Amino acid sequence: MPIIKNKRLLFKTPFLMLGLICMLLANCSFINAREIEQGASVQGTSAQGAPAQRASAQRASAQKAWQQTLNEARGESVYFYAWGGDPQVNRYLQWIAEQVDVKYGIKLEHVKLAQTSDAVSRVLAEVSAGNMSEGQVDLLWINGLNFATMAQNKLLEASWVSLLPNFALTNPQQNPAMTMDFGVPTNGMEAPWGRAALTFYYDSAYNKATSSPPPSTLQELLHWSAQNPGRFTYSKPPDFLGLSFLKYALIILNQQQEADIFAKLYQPPTDESELQLLSPLWEFLDRLHPYLWRKGQYFVTDGASIRRLVGDGELQLGFTFSASDIPGAVGRFGLPPSIRSFAMKDGSLSNVHFVTIPVNAKHKAGAKVVANFLMSIEAQAKKQQPSEWGDRTVLDLSLLAPDQQRMFRSPDQHPSALPVSAKSPSLSEPHPQWNAVLTEAWERRYGAKRW
Amino acid sequence: MVDSTSFFTRWVKLSPSILVILLIVPVIAGLFGVLLPAFGWLPALGENNIGLRGFEAFWLTPGFVKMLALSFSTSLISTFFAVVLSILILGNYFNSRLLNSIQKLLGPILVIPHAAAAIAIGFLVAPSGLIMRLFSPWLSGASLPPDALLPNDPYGVSIILGLTLKELPFVLLMAMAAMQQNEIKQVIQGQYKVALSLGYYPFTAFCKAVLPGLYPFMRLPIYAILAYSSASIEIPLILGPNTPPTLAVAIMQWFNDVDLSLRIKASAGALVQILVTLCVLFTWWLIEQAVKKFSFSKLTNGRRKYADFIWRALTHCLTLLVIFSIALALLGLVLWSFAGYWSFPNAYPDQLVTLHWQSAFKQLPETISDTVLVALAATGIALFFALFALEAEQQRQKRLSSATSLMIYLPLLVPSIAFLFGIVWVKELIGGNAVFSMVVLGHLLFVMPYVFLSLATSYRKLDLRYAKVAASLGCSPWKVFYAVKLPQLVPPILFSAALGLAISFSQYLPTLLLGGGRMNTLTTEAVAIASGASRRISAVYVIMQLLLPAVGFILAWLIPKLLFRPRQ
Repeated sequence: MPIIKNKRLLFKTPFLMLGLICMLLANCSFINAREIEQGASVQGTSAQGAPAQRASAQRASAQKAWQQTLNEARGESVYFYAWGGDPQVNRYLQWIAEQVDVKYGIKLEHVKLAQTSDAVSRVLAEVSAGNMSEGQVDLLWINGLNFATMAQNKLLEASWVSLLPNFALTNPQQNPAMTMDFGVPTNGMEAPWGRAALTFYYDSAYNKATSSPPPSTLQELLHWSAQNPGRFTYSKPPDFLGLSFLKYALIILNQQQEADIFAKLYQPPTDESELQLLSPLWEFLDRLHPYLWRKGQYFVTDGASIRRLVGDGELQLGFTFSASDIPGAVGRFGLPPSIRSFAMKDGSLSNVHFVTIPVNAKHKAGAKVVANFLMSIEAQAKKQQPSEWGDRTVLDLSLLAPDQQRMFRSPDQHPSALPVSAKSPSLSEPHPQWNAVLTEAWERRYGAKRW
Repeated sequence: MVDSTSFFTRWVKLSPSILVILLIVPVIAGLFGVLLPAFGWLPALGENNIGLRGFEAFWLTPGFVKMLALSFSTSLISTFFAVVLSILILGNYFNSRLLNSIQKLLGPILVIPHAAAAIAIGFLVAPSGLIMRLFSPWLSGASLPPDALLPNDPYGVSIILGLTLKELPFVLLMAMAAMQQNEIKQVIQGQYKVALSLGYYPFTAFCKAVLPGLYPFMRLPIYAILAYSSASIEIPLILGPNTPPTLAVAIMQWFNDVDLSLRIKASAGALVQILVTLCVLFTWWLIEQAVKKFSFSKLTNGRRKYADFIWRALTHCLTLLVIFSIALALLGLVLWSFAGYWSFPNAYPDQLVTLHWQSAFKQLPETISDTVLVALAATGIALFFALFALEAEQQRQKRLSSATSLMIYLPLLVPSIAFLFGIVWVKELIGGNAVFSMVVLGHLLFVMPYVFLSLATSYRKLDLRYAKVAASLGCSPWKVFYAVKLPQLVPPILFSAALGLAISFSQYLPTLLLGGGRMNTLTTEAVAIASGASRRISAVYVIMQLLLPAVGFILAWLIPKLLFRPRQ
């Protein structure tokens, strides 16, 4: 009976076809994981490896382990999840990709994130779905709250950083900032990559025309804003840069408090310390907001927009965490040539940013080799050049030979760059949990109203 | 005959069901993937108590009423403007050559990705945008950009502006497509002529004699844009306020938040989003009923004229304004992409450089190739199934059931934010790791309806007598299909393909979520860069976003000309 036969097939065939299509598509995924060209050669065991004969047995075994990692890494595709909003950083990462391809045979793919938290939630989703070794994120650019969240949820590979040969160049014993991320010990879960300090910039042409000198302290900023209404703003928390401004203000405003109260900034917040420490901030912001851009009714969502608005002339005072961005932006016509950078005299918020490896990363060896290369003299020196990125190095330059130190010097100082002589006390980041507290309290006070 | 045709006919018979399965399974699975977490079931976070925590958290979100109101009002108002403007244009230029030129001018807007349109409009209306520069300082007296509230105003005016400009061509083209169908065309043309000969003024004649018959054909497109705009991401993200944003944008931010417990709230929000969309659709339906009731007596009251000249003048002005702002937006993009420093209030950049194009071109090739590959795969699959489904229709000599058609449009009607996150969740559960195929599948959901829609009109218009002659001469159905029907369909197939490619090029959320950030297309890059520091690079990406679909359409137009050039 042909009809019955037809019916049975009718039931089977669509699923068969679906399966076929899926298989076809699955095969197409070669587009993401392109074949890796073999044949690039390793040069030496590590960039600065001391001769093996002089090294102790321990060191030799470490070197052997590292060589093993290098061998494993060859041919791997490393997916580096990093914020992708800055073309200059993206270009630097392209250079890194070329270098690790040539040097270690690693294909580095920069996955451009709009926000780092996207990657954090991805890793968590993977781990919670039981994916413990096939994770998509191999390497992640991170610091602060995102790190604290991941560390707390045990989403990070532990104790791998000290195995990287280049980590010693940061002089971690003398330099606690390399092993503390916003007051949270890193426990070898993340490798330092660069450091940043809050730097302000202004348009000197505007400044000349209105004869109002740029502010040099937080209080002067308030006066300046009152005189130049609508020409300054900060980005809405939880944006990193906006939060940094709030933390700068929080620290400065509480410096007059007694030492034991001030110290609570570096501990997890409690109801009591929130009340003590945040009140001066709200008082200050209440006075500042009416003079902000759009009268404080709209805040840009991300810090990069501040630079765009300064470039458009809508703002006349901006701030950034990477001072070297500014000359680069002037060179790319994003900012007027009359821009000048300066550091606030009452202090600059400073922190270190890191790269980390999720616990379920698929290509851990490759990720370690890339992380090590990111800390190499060559990569760090290039990164510090204002024309490349201008992010300050994490290496301790005093450990380097004079000719290596010279690599870090920039040939000529751009007029818009932060003057070398600029001195400003370094303010360290409060405990990372303050971020959430600040964000939430800010949202309650200045964000959306309940109705 | 039975033997030689069995595979083809069987395959054709099955293809509508495969097509529906292909669309429906991901949507349903995705909805489940949102439904369970919404009620607190998220074992990944150790949350498995069923309850209403998510909805409570949502209820306690600061400004959630504003969020809902913003989503509701911007979609309704923008659609209302788009529909009214379309009716004005259709009515006043009915039967005039102008209508065709307007169609040709606005057609390309249809395929501009929402993200690109939003960025371009943002450039235009910003305090330091091109409009302000044109009027400064001689009129406005501003030597610095004013501290104005556009874009990103708290009332969503810029969202409405963006959505209206994007929706207008869609409504217009859909209405015109309906008007060109033979059976409708004859009826409305006849009624219009009679009305004119009875002394009705043109616009009044259109509203009284044509519109009541035409509107039913515009309904589905209108409902689709209502649903889309109430849950759209790109335009509110780029042009909208953020204290608070629209509901859809807020949901996306919660889903992506570092605080993972927000996912329960986000899932609850996604369900509320569906309710909001339903409310919008219902409100529109109420408006329809009210208009119907209110205008019923007016239709037959015999009045010939309702201030026709004013309407006509208004239409002229509005059409000019729309075309002028589109032209200005495009001009602005081109200028920004070549601008050196461009100080306010100059209407022209201080110097022109090619630096931005050069630096973009270093990064673009890979992005473009990924974009095109995904689009080709999705469009190819969509065309394949759409053709067979339509062939099935003809073999059965019966149109697809309305349930089947509805299924095909389902991905357009269900807010994508509601089911895409669910798909990601389901994908994680299954442990799938394929990026490319997931992105193609995601795109397919949105490409398929458009390809099907645009192909169906031509396929159903095919003159079946050729097929019958061929069959009577002994051709198998397969041969009839590929040797008789397909050659006649080359131009519409190419057009559908170009449309499918354009739709795929413009997908933001499916690419971002299903690709897990590993698949960078022009649109995802453009949105990422729009939030960044460089207006100039942003302009380059937007221009590339406009050029890519344009190339598709030019090819679709050119290839038939070359293939079927009349021989001398």
